[in-house]
Amino acid sequence: MSDLRDLLGGIVDDVDAVCLFSPSGSYFESFADTELPVVVVAPENSVDAEQYVELPLEFADVRDRIRFGLEGALEDGHIEEEHVVACATNVFEGGIDTVTRVNAGEFPRSGVYELFVESRADPSVIRDVFELAVELGKKGQKGKQVGALFVVGDAGKVMNKSRPLSYNPFEKSHVHVGDPIVNVMLKEFSRLDGAFVVSDSGKIVSAYRYLEPSAEGTDIPKGLGARHMAAAGITRETNAVCIVLSESDGLVRAFQGGDLILELDPEEY
Amino acid sequence: MPHESGGSGYYAALHRLFSDRLELFIGLVLFVFAFIAGILTRRYVKRFLRGFDVPDAVEGTPFERTAQRLGTSTVGLLANLCGLFVLVVGGLVALRFTNMLPQDVLTVQITGFFRQLFIAVIVLIVGIITGDKLSLYVSERLKGVKVPEVGLLATLAKYSVFYVALLIALSQLGVATLPLVVLLAAYAFGIVFVGGLATKDLLAATAAGVYLLLTEPYAIGDEVEVDGRRGIVQEVNTFVTRVETDGEEHVIPNDRVFRQGIVVVRD
Repeated sequence: MSDLRDLLGGIVDDVDAVCLFSPSGSYFESFADTELPVVVVAPENSVDAEQYVELPLEFADVRDRIRFGLEGALEDGHIEEEHVVACATNVFEGGIDTVTRVNAGEFPRSGVYELFVESRADPSVIRDVFELAVELGKKGQKGKQVGALFVVGDAGKVMNKSRPLSYNPFEKSHVHVGDPIVNVMLKEFSRLDGAFVVSDSGKIVSAYRYLEPSAEGTDIPKGLGARHMAAAGITRETNAVCIVLSESDGLVRAFQGGDLILELDPEEY
Repeated sequence: MPHESGGSGYYAALHRLFSDRLELFIGLVLFVFAFIAGILTRRYVKRFLRGFDVPDAVEGTPFERTAQRLGTSTVGLLANLCGLFVLVVGGLVALRFTNMLPQDVLTVQITGFFRQLFIAVIVLIVGIITGDKLSLYVSERLKGVKVPEVGLLATLAKYSVFYVALLIALSQLGVATLPLVVLLAAYAFGIVFVGGLATKDLLAATAAGVYLLLTEPYAIGDEVEVDGRRGIVQEVNTFVTRVETDGEEHVIPNDRVFRQGIVVVRD
């Protein structure tokens, strides 16, 4: 038994901070006496932690989740670049079951925190669009994979850098991405070609938009199609964020500033 | 008793019951009826309230929590009250029939007062629950606003409802409530007047915003000129229009758009 404890001791020795991911109240209480800074990363600050990073999406991939938490904690100044952080999170259902050791300065930054918090659109709007894309990826159209492209934020500029492919079905409507009716319309969404334009506050401005950015200088992984190229291009030229559901591999990807920031598999949600 | 000799003892007893003690008998029957009616009322009120999803509606309010701690619930409490009311009224009627209560003004007054008391209690309970619920709702809506003073608004709304409920309950009981009503009027006037004064610009902007949202003379992405500022519309909501030029975002109140007119630039 003591060997096992030593093993865990090696992981948490000399850490400078602790990150708790969605801890329960009693779990958080048990850290009340530690001198280390304790950062709570959760969808809601239910434990009233002083150092708190809001988790907008329940990342199924633990690496994405930890990455988001650490980038958020770094950005908000809860931890420093040179800190070594112990992260306690859960891999399977239930409470916290995993502890990992991360060097805050050395792990590659993906910009996933900036994607949500520093973009023009509200974090909740981006989360809603993510959920929409994930839902669409799960359902598809009659079991067939569908693709979709959402351009979120900076809608005025995006509209001026794109042209309509057909009449805009959202003209004079006031549908927001978080509205319950959007879930009903999901099936219709998958039939529409072109991009969806969503404003900073989450209003669906238009569908059927053909994006016309110059794709010059965009560098995205080879093998991704025209839809992803258009997404990367428009985020380079505007302050928008693009969330793309791929038709070929069914993954949801997010672009910002021309770069691929995040990749999610809808099936895991 | 003229017929006493004609029948058996049983018959005689029955007969006496129907002649002498008729009133007592009817009184007893009435009381049993009242008892059953009370139980039935209790059951149906419970079912009725459940049917209207009252348990869900009162969930989480301090009143419901107190009731739960006392081993009952809001619905149970209301149902018991109604049942008790029916029982007591029935009991009073039964007592009247047996002539045990003198049929004078006092009895009538007591019955009347009892009815008023019942209504007052119901009004108080409903008022307390509505106030709690309103305060929960307001604080829920204002959760995103991270200003500590905002909690005052929820409390204010709660006690306003309490006050009105108390006023109704007291006036039911016949307590002189005129000064309280005057106070309420002053309070309401203050809220409407000060609130109207403070939010007059917002109200004007909202009225204009509703028109702009309904008819959409300009949409997101259009190039417009308002107030001598030219730019691309980024957002229109009920209060403001956001127009962006290179690196500058103008937040223009909608009433301003309405008053000054807007130029939509077509190319």
